[in-house]
Amino acid sequence: MDGKVKGPGREKAKNMTRTERIEARLRESFQPRVLEVIDESERHRGHAGYQDGGESHFKVTIAADAFAGMSRIARHRAVHAALGHDLVSEIHALGLTISD
Amino acid sequence: MSAEDTIRKTVTENDVVLFMKGTKSMPQCGFSSRVAGVLNYMGVNFADVNVLADETIRQGIKEYSDWPTIPQLYVKGEFVGGCDIVTEMTLSGELDTLFAENGIAFDKDAADKIREANA
Repeated sequence: MDGKVKGPGREKAKNMTRTERIEARLRESFQPRVLEVIDESERHRGHAGYQDGGESHFKVTIAADAFAGMSRIARHRAVHAALGHDLVSEIHALGLTISD
Repeated sequence: MSAEDTIRKTVTENDVVLFMKGTKSMPQCGFSSRVAGVLNYMGVNFADVNVLADETIRQGIKEYSDWPTIPQLYVKGEFVGGCDIVTEMTLSGELDTLFAENGIAFDKDAADKIREANA
């Protein structure tokens, strides 16, 4: 490790929203050309998994060279890994559109 | 039998299995509903496993597949993907190819209609 405060610690210090944490982790891992993180929670108000204040249902569109040559499953797994178990388990729904 | 053994048995004994929230006739989540809907519309004979009915399966399938979300589609014991991947593969025609290569019957005209409607 490089001694820099990474991931959860730094995010907590900055009091980041889930949307910001998703963006930060994906930027750090993939240096994407395109990154769009949309909080779709309001569309799911009243449905299972809706949480007060939103940030439960996300739609992410990401394009990065890092995904070249990877299968669909491998791309999704890479995104899951970059987000980390803690963040993935906080989110009720995560729609991913991934391209290279 | 452990959850892992139950899951292995299920995906081995059934050509097409969808692990989902709810059942194929009564899905309980939009993402599960979408994948079950595609399979139903394409006339694919598949086994549905309602993860909401068994917490050990709900957690077990995530570990078995190394995949954090539901639904999950299996064909011939191989993990295919979740809702986003199945949707992309339906629209690209890759799902037709996967079924054809594995000898799984499906309605090609219905699959074409899905693609026309989403073109």
